[in-house]
Amino acid sequence: MSIPVSHELFHPDAVFVTNQTSQAAIFQEVAAQLHQLKAVKPGFAQALLAREHDYPTGIDLSVLNSDYPNVAVPHTEAEFVNTRMIVPIKLMHPVMFGNMIDPSVQLPVSYLFMLLNDELDSQTNILAQVMDLITTTPTKQLTAFFNETNRATIYSLLSTYFSQD
Amino acid sequence: MIKILAACGAGINASHQIKDALEKEMKSRGYDVHCDAMMVKDVTATMIKDYDIYAQIAKTDMKFKPAIPVVDAGAILYRMPAMAKPVYDNVEKIIKEKGLN
Repeated sequence: MSIPVSHELFHPDAVFVTNQTSQAAIFQEVAAQLHQLKAVKPGFAQALLAREHDYPTGIDLSVLNSDYPNVAVPHTEAEFVNTRMIVPIKLMHPVMFGNMIDPSVQLPVSYLFMLLNDELDSQTNILAQVMDLITTTPTKQLTAFFNETNRATIYSLLSTYFSQD
Repeated sequence: MIKILAACGAGINASHQIKDALEKEMKSRGYDVHCDAMMVKDVTATMIKDYDIYAQIAKTDMKFKPAIPVVDAGAILYRMPAMAKPVYDNVEKIIKEKGLN
Protein backbone atom coordinates (compact mmCIF):
# COMPACT_ATOMS: atom_id res chain seq x y z
CA MET A 1 0.00 0.00 0.00
CA SER A 2 1.85 3.08 -1.17
CA ILE A 3 1.14 6.45 -2.68
CA PRO A 4 0.67 6.03 -6.44
CA VAL A 5 2.80 8.18 -8.68
CA SER A 6 0.37 10.87 -9.67
CA HIS A 7 -0.37 14.52 -9.28
CA GLU A 8 -3.31 13.91 -6.96
CA LEU A 9 -3.14 16.06 -3.87
CA PHE A 10 -5.31 13.76 -1.78
CA HIS A 11 -5.40 10.06 -0.95
CA PRO A 12 -8.58 8.31 0.24
CA ASP A 13 -6.61 6.54 2.97
CA ALA A 14 -5.05 9.79 4.15
CA VAL A 15 -8.22 11.47 5.40
CA PHE A 16 -8.69 11.61 9.16
CA VAL A 17 -11.46 12.24 11.67
CA THR A 18 -9.87 11.99 15.07
CA ASN A 19 -10.84 12.07 18.72
CA GLN A 20 -7.27 12.76 19.84
CA THR A 21 -6.88 15.71 22.18
CA SER A 22 -3.23 16.71 21.82
CA GLN A 23 -0.94 17.70 18.98
CA ALA A 24 1.41 14.82 19.81
CA ALA A 25 -1.34 12.19 19.75
CA ILE A 26 -2.80 13.54 16.49
CA PHE A 27 0.58 13.61 14.79
CA GLN A 28 1.39 10.07 15.96
CA GLU A 29 -1.93 8.71 14.66
CA VAL A 30 -1.60 10.43 11.30
CA ALA A 31 2.10 9.70 10.88
CA ALA A 32 1.56 5.98 11.49
CA GLN A 33 -0.91 5.83 8.60
CA LEU A 34 1.19 8.06 6.33
CA HIS A 35 4.18 5.85 7.04
CA GLN A 36 2.12 2.82 5.95
CA LEU A 37 1.39 4.69 2.73
CA LYS A 38 5.12 5.40 2.36
CA ALA A 39 4.28 9.09 2.18
CA VAL A 40 6.60 10.09 5.04
CA LYS A 41 9.88 9.01 6.55
CA PRO A 42 10.76 7.97 10.11
CA GLY A 43 10.88 10.91 12.48
CA PHE A 44 8.08 12.78 10.70
CA ALA A 45 5.79 13.05 13.75
CA GLN A 46 8.58 14.24 16.03
CA ALA A 47 9.71 16.78 13.43
CA LEU A 48 6.14 18.06 13.08
CA LEU A 49 5.80 18.50 16.83
CA ALA A 50 9.12 20.31 17.16
CA ARG A 51 8.35 22.59 14.26
CA GLU A 52 4.90 23.36 15.62
CA HIS A 53 6.53 24.33 18.91
CA ASP A 54 9.09 26.63 17.29
CA TYR A 55 7.10 27.88 14.30
CA PRO A 56 3.39 27.25 14.91
CA THR A 57 0.93 27.01 12.02
CA GLY A 58 -2.45 27.94 13.47
CA ILE A 59 -4.50 30.26 11.27
CA ASP A 60 -7.14 32.50 12.84
CA LEU A 61 -10.19 32.27 10.57
CA SER A 62 -12.32 34.54 12.74
CA VAL A 63 -10.92 37.43 10.70
CA LEU A 64 -12.75 35.95 7.71
CA ASN A 65 -15.91 34.72 9.42
CA SER A 66 -16.60 34.47 13.15
CA ASP A 67 -18.49 31.21 12.56
CA TYR A 68 -15.50 29.43 11.00
CA PRO A 69 -13.35 27.18 13.15
CA ASN A 70 -9.66 27.96 13.26
CA VAL A 71 -7.39 25.73 11.23
CA ALA A 72 -3.72 24.80 11.30
CA VAL A 73 -1.41 23.69 8.51
CA PRO A 74 1.24 21.52 10.20
CA HIS A 75 4.20 20.72 7.99
CA THR A 76 7.88 20.10 8.20
CA GLU A 77 11.02 20.07 6.14
CA ALA A 78 11.05 18.32 2.77
CA GLU A 79 13.56 15.75 4.04
CA PHE A 80 10.86 13.99 6.09
CA VAL A 81 8.36 13.46 3.26
CA ASN A 82 8.25 11.49 0.01
CA THR A 83 5.47 13.21 -1.86
CA ARG A 84 3.35 16.30 -2.27
CA MET A 85 -0.02 15.95 -0.64
CA ILE A 86 -2.63 17.66 1.53
CA VAL A 87 -3.90 15.56 4.45
CA PRO A 88 -7.24 16.75 5.89
CA ILE A 89 -7.74 16.04 9.60
CA LYS A 90 -11.06 16.82 11.27
CA LEU A 91 -10.61 17.28 15.03
CA MET A 92 -13.66 16.20 17.01
CA HIS A 93 -12.23 18.08 19.99
CA PRO A 94 -10.51 21.45 19.50
CA VAL A 95 -6.78 21.42 20.18
CA MET A 96 -4.65 24.48 20.91
CA PHE A 97 -2.15 25.63 18.29
CA GLY A 98 0.02 28.74 18.22
CA ASN A 99 -0.95 31.41 15.71
CA MET A 100 1.36 31.31 12.71
CA ILE A 101 1.38 35.09 12.41
CA ASP A 102 1.65 35.78 16.13
CA PRO A 103 3.07 32.73 17.95
CA SER A 104 2.41 34.32 21.36
CA VAL A 105 -1.32 33.72 20.78
CA GLN A 106 -2.88 30.26 21.21
CA LEU A 107 -5.88 29.34 19.05
CA PRO A 108 -8.41 26.54 19.54
CA VAL A 109 -8.18 24.63 16.26
CA SER A 110 -10.75 22.21 14.87
CA TYR A 111 -9.37 21.36 11.45
CA LEU A 112 -5.91 20.54 10.15
CA PHE A 113 -4.64 20.58 6.61
CA MET A 114 -1.33 18.79 6.98
CA LEU A 115 0.97 19.73 4.13
CA LEU A 116 3.42 17.23 2.70
CA ASN A 117 5.80 18.90 0.32
CA ASP A 118 9.01 17.35 -0.94
CA GLU A 119 9.65 20.04 -3.55
CA LEU A 120 11.59 23.01 -2.22
CA ASP A 121 10.77 25.15 -5.23
CA SER A 122 7.33 23.84 -6.04
CA GLN A 123 5.61 25.93 -8.63
CA THR A 124 2.26 25.03 -7.17
CA ASN A 125 2.06 26.29 -3.63
CA ILE A 126 -0.20 23.93 -1.69
CA LEU A 127 -0.62 26.32 1.24
CA ALA A 128 -1.91 28.93 -1.18
CA GLN A 129 -4.31 26.34 -2.60
CA VAL A 130 -5.67 25.53 0.86
CA MET A 131 -6.16 29.21 1.60
CA ASP A 132 -7.94 29.66 -1.73
CA LEU A 133 -10.27 26.79 -0.79
CA ILE A 134 -11.11 28.57 2.47
CA THR A 135 -11.52 32.06 1.06
CA THR A 136 -13.39 31.25 -2.16
CA THR A 137 -15.81 28.54 -1.01
CA PRO A 138 -19.26 29.93 -0.16
CA THR A 139 -19.80 30.15 3.61
CA LYS A 140 -22.58 27.57 3.75
CA GLN A 141 -20.58 25.03 1.79
CA LEU A 142 -17.40 25.57 3.75
CA THR A 143 -19.23 25.31 7.07
CA ALA A 144 -20.78 22.02 5.93
CA PHE A 145 -17.33 20.79 4.92
CA PHE A 146 -15.82 21.69 8.30
CA ASN A 147 -18.65 19.79 10.03
CA GLU A 148 -18.44 16.70 7.80
CA THR A 149 -17.27 13.58 9.63
CA ASN A 150 -17.55 10.98 6.87
CA ARG A 151 -14.06 10.37 5.52
CA ALA A 152 -15.23 9.33 2.05
CA THR A 153 -17.34 12.48 1.76
CA ILE A 154 -14.45 14.69 2.90
CA TYR A 155 -12.20 13.07 0.29
CA SER A 156 -14.83 13.48 -2.41
CA LEU A 157 -15.48 17.16 -1.58
CA LEU A 158 -11.80 18.04 -1.59
CA SER A 159 -11.01 16.06 -4.73
CA THR A 160 -13.86 17.75 -6.54
CA TYR A 161 -12.80 21.22 -5.44
CA PHE A 162 -9.15 20.76 -6.37
CA SER A 163 -9.91 19.11 -9.71
CA GLN A 164 -11.56 22.37 -10.77
CA ASP A 165 -8.20 24.18 -10.80
CA MET B 1 16.99 45.35 -8.30
CA ILE B 2 15.35 45.37 -4.88
CA LYS B 3 16.17 42.24 -2.87
CA ILE B 4 13.69 40.92 -0.31
CA LEU B 5 14.16 37.96 2.01
CA ALA B 6 11.13 35.96 3.18
CA ALA B 7 11.56 33.31 5.84
CA CYS B 8 9.34 30.74 7.53
CA GLY B 9 9.71 27.67 9.71
CA ALA B 10 10.14 25.05 6.99
CA GLY B 11 11.24 27.33 4.17
CA ILE B 12 8.71 25.70 1.86
CA ASN B 13 5.12 26.81 2.02
CA ALA B 14 4.57 30.15 3.73
CA SER B 15 7.80 31.82 2.62
CA HIS B 16 7.27 30.76 -1.00
CA GLN B 17 3.74 32.12 -0.90
CA ILE B 18 5.07 35.45 0.39
CA LYS B 19 7.80 35.42 -2.26
CA ASP B 20 5.39 34.80 -5.13
CA ALA B 21 2.92 37.42 -3.91
CA LEU B 22 5.52 40.14 -3.27
CA GLU B 23 7.27 39.64 -6.60
CA LYS B 24 3.99 39.71 -8.52
CA GLU B 25 2.48 42.72 -6.76
CA MET B 26 5.65 44.81 -6.68
CA LYS B 27 6.21 44.12 -10.38
CA SER B 28 2.68 45.34 -11.08
CA ARG B 29 3.54 48.50 -9.13
CA GLY B 30 6.55 49.04 -11.37
CA TYR B 31 9.36 47.79 -9.14
CA ASP B 32 12.07 45.31 -10.05
CA VAL B 33 11.90 43.01 -7.02
CA HIS B 34 13.52 39.65 -6.36
CA CYS B 35 12.56 37.70 -3.26
CA ASP B 36 14.35 34.68 -1.79
CA ALA B 37 12.58 32.21 0.52
CA MET B 38 14.29 30.24 3.24
CA MET B 39 14.04 28.74 6.71
CA VAL B 40 14.11 31.20 9.60
CA LYS B 41 16.81 29.19 11.34
CA ASP B 42 19.11 29.70 8.36
CA VAL B 43 18.82 33.49 8.43
CA THR B 44 21.96 35.09 9.90
CA ALA B 45 22.88 38.65 10.77
CA THR B 46 25.57 38.58 8.09
CA MET B 47 23.57 37.24 5.17
CA ILE B 48 20.56 39.42 5.84
CA LYS B 49 22.74 42.42 4.99
CA ASP B 50 22.66 41.25 1.35
CA TYR B 51 18.96 42.16 1.26
CA ASP B 52 17.05 45.43 1.28
CA ILE B 53 13.93 44.27 3.16
CA TYR B 54 13.15 41.33 5.46
CA ALA B 55 9.58 40.02 5.09
CA GLN B 56 8.73 38.01 8.19
CA ILE B 57 5.71 35.73 8.43
CA ALA B 58 5.58 35.72 12.21
CA LYS B 59 6.70 37.97 14.99
CA THR B 60 9.47 35.48 15.41
CA ASP B 61 12.11 35.67 18.08
CA MET B 62 15.19 36.38 16.00
CA LYS B 63 18.47 35.96 17.83
CA PHE B 64 19.61 39.26 16.38
CA LYS B 65 18.11 42.58 15.37
CA PRO B 66 18.00 42.72 11.56
CA ALA B 67 20.00 45.62 10.19
CA ILE B 68 17.48 46.11 7.40
CA PRO B 69 13.81 47.19 7.43
CA VAL B 70 11.42 44.44 8.56
CA VAL B 71 7.89 44.03 7.21
CA ASP B 72 5.20 41.86 8.86
CA ALA B 73 4.03 39.92 5.81
CA GLY B 74 1.92 37.21 7.44
CA ALA B 75 -1.37 38.77 6.32
CA ILE B 76 -0.46 37.85 2.73
CA LEU B 77 -1.02 34.19 3.64
CA TYR B 78 -4.79 34.70 3.74
CA ARG B 79 -4.87 35.36 -0.02
CA MET B 80 -7.35 38.18 0.56
CA PRO B 81 -6.46 41.35 -1.38
CA ALA B 82 -7.81 43.65 1.34
CA MET B 83 -5.61 41.97 3.95
CA ALA B 84 -2.51 41.89 1.76
CA LYS B 85 -2.68 45.49 0.56
CA PRO B 86 -1.27 47.08 3.76
CA VAL B 87 1.74 44.75 3.51
CA TYR B 88 2.40 45.75 -0.11
CA ASP B 89 1.90 49.42 0.77
CA ASN B 90 4.42 49.08 3.59
CA VAL B 91 6.99 47.50 1.27
CA GLU B 92 6.44 50.26 -1.28
CA LYS B 93 6.79 52.91 1.45
CA ILE B 94 10.16 51.47 2.47
CA ILE B 95 11.29 51.30 -1.17
CA LYS B 96 10.48 54.97 -1.60
CA GLU B 97 11.87 56.12 1.75
CA LYS B 98 15.13 54.24 1.27
CA GLY B 99 15.41 55.20 -2.39
CA LEU B 100 15.78 51.53 -3.32
CA ASN B 101 14.25 51.74 -6.76
